Amino acid sequence: MRRFSVLALLLCGTAHASDADDLAVALKKARQWTARGQVEVSVFFPPRTLPTRTAAALPAVPFRPALLARNFTVTRSEGEAVAGRPSLRFDLIPKQGAAARWSLWIDRVWNVPLAFEERMPGGTLARRAAFVKVNGALSRVSGQALPPSTGLSAALKTALPGLRLPAGFTPVAARARAAAQEEAQGGTEITLSDGVNVLALIVAPRNVRPAVGVASVRVAGAGGVRFVWLVGNLPDAALKSALQGVRQVDESGLGTFTAAADSNR
Amino acid sequence: MSQFESEVGDAELDALFAQAREPNEADAGAAERFLAGHRVRVARTQAQIQTRPLWVRPRIPAKWLAAALASAAVIAGVGVLRPSLAPGDLPASAAYAAYQDALGEGW
Repeated sequence: MRRFSVLALLLCGTAHASDADDLAVALKKARQWTARGQVEVSVFFPPRTLPTRTAAALPAVPFRPALLARNFTVTRSEGEAVAGRPSLRFDLIPKQGAAARWSLWIDRVWNVPLAFEERMPGGTLARRAAFVKVNGALSRVSGQALPPSTGLSAALKTALPGLRLPAGFTPVAARARAAAQEEAQGGTEITLSDGVNVLALIVAPRNVRPAVGVASVRVAGAGGVRFVWLVGNLPDAALKSALQGVRQVDESGLGTFTAAADSNR
Repeated sequence: MSQFESEVGDAELDALFAQAREPNEADAGAAERFLAGHRVRVARTQAQIQTRPLWVRPRIPAKWLAAALASAAVIAGVGVLRPSLAPGDLPASAAYAAYQDALGEGW
């Protein structure tokens, strides 16, 4: 009986790995090929006046397959037709933490995405994009793999001692904030990713008012008082908990990364 | 020359005016009666006011009361709203804009 259980577990694990691999292949293809037509895009977080609009192609989701495979359980199932095209559905459930979960509908023939859906842990829809009409052929795109961020984790740890990154998230990009940005007078913006979801971690000279998905803390910086904001689709308690232990910031260590990010823009 | 001047001479007029300017006993009596009555009326009014409840006593005019209440409301409002009106804090839209930058294009 125990042997069967072990075998079942192994098979189950293989199936998940296989589903994740299949998804990775589709996402890799989507960097070069995309469907076009009419897409309905709805965004409920971050909140906006008009949540739904139409577009000619699916919006970009900065998937990072290695992180995705580490942080999510990927399950493939039969998907309903999207804009009349048969699809495979991939559900991405976070292995730990309170991150949002995703569903992707991949075209059975083209093997590129036809729809995305992001749901909060409670099931509320955060974002959705789906084709309502699809052109007859794929279009070529000049997408590139996202650049690696070697050394950024260590630099962030030094820059913000006491920061406890939410489960599964790791820093993937950093850039300097433009002085004109909301009268920000400088500052640094770091993107955290768990493979699908992103969080924005900002070091700024001014504080931001608390809101849904926005937490901030006042810290001591080299040039005086600084504020650290954490913004994203996580429960407020998780955002606050991440910043709870932060008392000071030293942005000098992040300078290399922000300069590199700027030169690529 | 008018008919009045013909009937009353200057000397008689002067005497009449002098008599009118000088208070006589009848005047003093009338004044005393009036003042006594006035004092009684004032005392009665005061007694009525003292027995009324505080909020209906007409000591403070209603317009002053309204002004005082309006001032109190403004002070209380500023006190409650001050944290969100702090000039140094950016609106939450600044945080959402930063998040939007990280989401990827097209959202």
